[in-house]
Amino acid sequence: MPPESSGAGRSIERASADRIYYTLAAVIGGTVGIYFLVVPVLDLNIAFHFYLMLWITMASAFNVAAGFSGYMPFGFVAFYGVGAFTTAILVKSLGFPVLLALPFSGVAGVILGLLFAPTLRLSGIYFAIVSLALAGICRLVISNMPDHITGGSFGLQLGSRAEPVHSFYVMMAVMLLALGTILWLSRSRLGKALRAVRDDAEAADMMGVNVTRVRLYGWLIAAFFPAVCGGVEAWYTNVVDTETAFNTLTTAKTVIYAVAGGLGTVTGPIVGSVVMVWLDELIWRQFPLLNLLILGVATVMLVLFLPRGIVGTILRRRPEWRRYIP
Amino acid sequence: MSAAIEVHGLRKRFGGLTALDGVELEAHPAEVLGIIGVNGAGKTTLMNCICGIYRADEGRVMIGGRDVTHRTPHEIAHHGVGRTFQIPRVFRKMSLIDNLLVPVLDRDEADPALIERAENTLEHMNLIELRHNFAEELSGGQQKLLEMARMLMPDPTVVMLDEPFAGVHPTLCKFMIERIEAMAAGGKTVLLISHDLTSIYRLSHRVAALNEGRVIAMGSVDEIRSNPAVVEAYLGN
Repeated sequence: MPPESSGAGRSIERASADRIYYTLAAVIGGTVGIYFLVVPVLDLNIAFHFYLMLWITMASAFNVAAGFSGYMPFGFVAFYGVGAFTTAILVKSLGFPVLLALPFSGVAGVILGLLFAPTLRLSGIYFAIVSLALAGICRLVISNMPDHITGGSFGLQLGSRAEPVHSFYVMMAVMLLALGTILWLSRSRLGKALRAVRDDAEAADMMGVNVTRVRLYGWLIAAFFPAVCGGVEAWYTNVVDTETAFNTLTTAKTVIYAVAGGLGTVTGPIVGSVVMVWLDELIWRQFPLLNLLILGVATVMLVLFLPRGIVGTILRRRPEWRRYIP
Repeated sequence: MSAAIEVHGLRKRFGGLTALDGVELEAHPAEVLGIIGVNGAGKTTLMNCICGIYRADEGRVMIGGRDVTHRTPHEIAHHGVGRTFQIPRVFRKMSLIDNLLVPVLDRDEADPALIERAENTLEHMNLIELRHNFAEELSGGQQKLLEMARMLMPDPTVVMLDEPFAGVHPTLCKFMIERIEAMAAGGKTVLLISHDLTSIYRLSHRVAALNEGRVIAMGSVDEIRSNPAVVEAYLGN
């Protein structure tokens, strides 16, 4: 075998690292897929696992905005809420079949992303504040629309269309699509360009990266998935109202789960969501009255002791694993 | 021989301060043009105007005979202009290999070929063993080398080096000087800003001296060394 320091040796080493990376990705994807596939079959807790998949998808999409692109959209819930209302309005008012309405939720998220795109010239806390304000505006706009469209303060009920098992599997498909997209992004040229822009936009610009275009692509990917999640959740719960669809706790949970796992990796938001949603469930079962207090303390401890998140900290300590762990 | 880079009547003001005041210069292929001047003379502003970070108020910048004035930085990069920075601006949370791939992301070449080229470039810069590390894990001197490697990846025709020797160990400095000589020998036009006059005088074919935004002298190293205006700008009366 050629020595690792030679060109041929490096080529073999690269191929081997790629093999491990994709094998690990397939094993993680396969395990996650099979696990969720059997949840309804084995009559496990569908509601818990539905929301677990929803949070994995939300945290992974948030990771594209925060981990790959360097934005902190505190108004992330806007995409979710608009997606939920798009599905609800199309189904309730226009008689769309739910499965046909869901892609339109994604399109609505992308359109909203395009409308918000001028804010991408901001950065840091300024972007975060403007994003939060825009989410508030979206909520107000929908609240003030005629009652026969958005259902007013009572919201919209989708009637007899609730199909928990079907919506569970659709949520699973959306999650796998999101994870596949982010796995592709992490290895793609667009992903590299996004990371370069995140680290130093001006330097990336001078290296030939079209910063505006790259940021927009990343932003639209990040906008698409929460909007579809909103639509699927509307189908699952059978009701949509502005109070829950635009609840800032949705953004807060998404941020916490993504950060807990570690931004910038594919596995980070998955691990973060699984750990935190389980932790939330366990605390809620044992201490129903102190649930939020204990969860808050756990989150503070996690951020204090693992500021890079679970996966981020592992990769910080074992940098040689970066090439293998998606 | 036609000029690789031409700057005509370049002016740049920041409020009431005139940073560049009608700068005229040109550099040819395979030439190292040293740019010297005291702090605030306008050296880095000149570079920033050439590569599109700053929009010049007046004047023109031509690269390879094409007018690139008021083009965006990424468009100017695609015209074959590469640069490094006074304080290294590497992509901190990306591996060295990925850092080098950034300037060639729009190339049609297949990824394995680009990665191999990146590895060869890193080998050329003595950074190959660190190729999987994040850039933030490198020392300051190594980051300067990484920037140089990243700049060379797309094979630019004009390279602009802003204080490449600042804060660098003499051994590394010598290594960098050899690499800069190799760039010029390979036909690249090098614009070199440095306060290290010894290195400037050793490397440059010609030197331009800037003071208060104007080119006060331009010529061979010997001409610049003995130019009274340059001596006065550096040492005072």
